[in-house]
Amino acid sequence: MNPMFGQDGQRVLALITGIADLTADEVDRVTDAWKRVCPSDRATAWARLVRTTTEQERYQILAAASLARREALATAHRLRRADWAFWAAVSDAAAAVAAGARIGRDYDTLTAPLAAVMPPLATFPGRAPASVAGFTADDPRAPAVFSEGA
Amino acid sequence: MKSWLTDLPETFPDAMVIVDSQGRIVEANAQAASLFGFDKRKMSGLLIQALFPDQLPALPSGRSAQQDEAGRYLELVGSRSDSSRFPAIVAIMPVKIKQVTAVIISIRDLTEAQRTRFVLRRGVEILMSESRDRQALLGHLIRAREEERLRIAADIHDDAIQLMSAASLRLQQLRLRLPDQAVRPILDKLQEALTLASSHLRQLIFDLRPSGLEDGNLGAALRVYLEQMHADTGIAYRLDERLSARVPDRTALLIYRNVLEALANVRNHARASTVAVELLVIEDGCLVRIVDDGVGYDPADVEDRPGHLGLVLIRERAELAGGWCRIESSPGTGTTVEFWVPFGKSSTKPDAGHERAG
Repeated sequence: MNPMFGQDGQRVLALITGIADLTADEVDRVTDAWKRVCPSDRATAWARLVRTTTEQERYQILAAASLARREALATAHRLRRADWAFWAAVSDAAAAVAAGARIGRDYDTLTAPLAAVMPPLATFPGRAPASVAGFTADDPRAPAVFSEGA
Repeated sequence: MKSWLTDLPETFPDAMVIVDSQGRIVEANAQAASLFGFDKRKMSGLLIQALFPDQLPALPSGRSAQQDEAGRYLELVGSRSDSSRFPAIVAIMPVKIKQVTAVIISIRDLTEAQRTRFVLRRGVEILMSESRDRQALLGHLIRAREEERLRIAADIHDDAIQLMSAASLRLQQLRLRLPDQAVRPILDKLQEALTLASSHLRQLIFDLRPSGLEDGNLGAALRVYLEQMHADTGIAYRLDERLSARVPDRTALLIYRNVLEALANVRNHARASTVAVELLVIEDGCLVRIVDDGVGYDPADVEDRPGHLGLVLIRERAELAGGWCRIESSPGTGTTVEFWVPFGKSSTKPDAGHERAG
């Protein structure tokens, strides 16, 4: 679909376009949720992510993470939020979405903070939805753009 | 039917036809006539299949939304009156008003969109290719820098330090032979200067080719550097080394260079009072964190400006080695540099043993 961001390029694009719609309160929630994740778990997830991908896939994943981080930075600026945990969380989530099913449970580690405000992130095609931060994948607050297969 | 449908199609910006339940066109707007190359009046009575030969599925009847999947979008190939073809996106909408059933079909020519998509895809491919070229160039730069460092270190060791040692020996001989005691303080000063210069050169050699790394003692080599930095700048440090495995020489050198690069930024820009360096083994690789309590910076301001080769090199070194890197900061919150590198260069093929989802 979108060679820039790998096989799940559409989901990556949906994530990136959804960032601009977040409210200041949601940014704060993502920031807090990211800080609650164990740094070693996160580092391990990233290590596995780069280990389990080819150079080409890694490139696509890092491109997705980089673009999402940029979008998050712009959103944080607009909402007068300056904690880098927010754009780090968005970057983690975009990388995980770009990597897709291959990273298994590490997907949850990397997407959980952003999934707190974008519940459909807690699932990906072919996998049962995980319960993240008290939300379910069919949460009515889910942005329409994030519907399955968007 | 015509009483309420006649003017409807002309109000739409896209090509539009209205067909009856038998699939015959009852109305078409000027855009449809132009798109398919027909006289508008001659389109009435045509079967819709003539516009989309062998493609259009059974038209919905409008009996119920569930049965008809109203509002379907299809990507089809349209056929003009001169038999030329074009890609189109087609929306099919059954309507039923006052017992009159019809199907509204809107058609949009995708030729331009496909051309744009192709150009965009080419643009992305070119960007990716240029980015890979840039990465390869940086890889060469990093390797060239390392080789140059080793060459300079060897030159200093084999040439400058040998010459200074010889000069020092000759100075000592001269000191013994000179009868004039008044000259001795001058010779002492000269000797002192030579010793200091030799010491500085040895430190330079250490920086260029840290000997501790060859013994597998990354922590010790970093401690020497941090201690020196503390002596020079007053910046306090905390080194937390939890390396349970021996770090291979190449990886240790990469980590050492990256930490020094990060610490150079702390020294030169951060205005920090403390810096913490942590090393631990994760996933058959080394995770390194350098966290300072300095003034930090706004990434949106800084990252768009050129002149941050140090930070770029940290990232590139880590990624070229098959690892990852995160450099983050906010004004007033210090800066965190975090990177992980595998002990062996990861191959282009992914690990087979890692857990897969499903």
